[in-house]
Amino acid sequence: MDIPVYEIQSLNHSYAGKTVLSIDHLKVQPASIVGLIGPNGSGKSSLLRLLGLIERPTQGKILFNGLMVEPFSNEARFRITLLPQEPFLMKRSVLNNVAYGLKLRSNGKDIIHKAGEALALVGLPFKDFARRPWYALSGGETQRVALAARLVLKPKVLLLDEPTASVDAASAQLIKEASLRARRELGTTLIVASHDWQWLYEICDEILHLFKGKILGRSRETIIFGPWQKLAPGKWGKILSAKQQLLVPAPPNQEAAAVIEVLSVSEDGSSVAGEDIVLSGTVSRLSLERKTGKIFATILVGDLPFTVRLTFQQGKAHTIFPGKTIFIRYRLDQIKWI
Amino acid sequence: MNFLLEGFFQAFNLLLSGNAETYSAMWATVKVSSYSIGSSLLIGIPLGFCLGYFDFRGKKPLRTIVDTMMALPTVFIGLLVYAFLTHRGPLGNFGLLFTLPGIAIGQTILALPIVIGLSATAVESMDTKIRITIMSMGANRRQLFLSSLWESRHGILAGAIAAYGRVMTEVGISMMVGGNIKWHTRTITTAIALETNKGQFGMGVALGLALIAIALCVNVSVSFLRRRN
Repeated sequence: MDIPVYEIQSLNHSYAGKTVLSIDHLKVQPASIVGLIGPNGSGKSSLLRLLGLIERPTQGKILFNGLMVEPFSNEARFRITLLPQEPFLMKRSVLNNVAYGLKLRSNGKDIIHKAGEALALVGLPFKDFARRPWYALSGGETQRVALAARLVLKPKVLLLDEPTASVDAASAQLIKEASLRARRELGTTLIVASHDWQWLYEICDEILHLFKGKILGRSRETIIFGPWQKLAPGKWGKILSAKQQLLVPAPPNQEAAAVIEVLSVSEDGSSVAGEDIVLSGTVSRLSLERKTGKIFATILVGDLPFTVRLTFQQGKAHTIFPGKTIFIRYRLDQIKWI
Repeated sequence: MNFLLEGFFQAFNLLLSGNAETYSAMWATVKVSSYSIGSSLLIGIPLGFCLGYFDFRGKKPLRTIVDTMMALPTVFIGLLVYAFLTHRGPLGNFGLLFTLPGIAIGQTILALPIVIGLSATAVESMDTKIRITIMSMGANRRQLFLSSLWESRHGILAGAIAAYGRVMTEVGISMMVGGNIKWHTRTITTAIALETNKGQFGMGVALGLALIAIALCVNVSVSFLRRRN
């Protein structure tokens, strides 16, 4: 087996004494695409900054190709590049922004040709954009120039932090295509943080769910956030509608988040077995997990989204489609608190 | 008010006829202000960058001291430098009193807090994303420092112009340390003070116009450089 491109050991990172990231162990295989999913503040950007060697972890080790690395490490700084969440260009022309990294590497040969190729990859014609100053670009163009400035370096690892969050649909499509092309043609390892779950599930070899700085798991989880109400003595949950209540065991605190595993779906809510709890909801979205071929159905119960993983046969048997009313089943004793 | 108008005519006459005394004062001013601004930029920009870029214990009090020193009275600096350069002073052996380098030392002390303070402000107001961008391109520490400096160049340049303006227009240091010696240490500002005392308004106005012309040249050159970048 290949040496992992990244290996994280006992990593703990904090800002002003507050822990923002805590990962015991993590490996990333070369030329893979890893997706990072999680709510705002879950630690995605912090993890990318650490992997991009922008910051030093408060505790723990990051190995790159088997070697321990830190900011400015010569073993890694020319091989890893990070595209931050908010597009940012330096106060110079588009050409000089794209060529900046090449100049740092003293790789001044054929800069114009290389910059032209990189700009073409992100759909920006060289003759129209090369001489433009940094301030004469739209948000989408700025993000694409920033990506071109990374792609021209032919990196071994490309870290993308919400690359399509603040751009129009056309720019988003070009950014997605250019990133995947880097992986296909150069064998670049991609690590992408995004709220675009559907895209991540289409392209990723592995998806990591982060929550409060921890990796929850490698599959799609249903996480319901507090605050929780005491509905009756010994009975906790949330009131979803006049007819439905989401029941949970006593939470460790009011703001705790519950990880709920949906056991099954059915078109008939009457068949309750033992301790099972049944809720009625509406299918709002279906997506395909490329790696496993499984279908993910998002079911809205009141305003709360529940995620169910189905095989193709299960999806076909229940004739699941968006807008259909369906019943989900879960058990109290299988709820985990985080 | 006629004397002012006459002064203007006399001023043009002196400047266009190449009056040696006028041009001597102009040359002394350009020379001494170039020495002082050059040395204050060389020392002040790296110090200002460090003050603005790094967080360290005692940064805030240090910043307050620098900001306070930006308002140092020129006569006070003149007095201190005089005390150091006079033959009884610790630097008396160098024979710098009543010389242009002596004035330049005083003016460097005057300009230094302005360069440090305004450079620090320029660096502090620099977008925090720039550090991530430069590092993510593979920069080493030296490249990060130089690129960050280059990105804050407009603010630093504004600081340099402010310092140059202060140096060009000061009287106290030039008078006390330079002694206003004709053909040697007489600068435009000390000459204006002297000629006005003598009632020679024409000469005073001529020198004032020359001072404005020099300031204009400096600002136009800087604006040109900014536009090119």
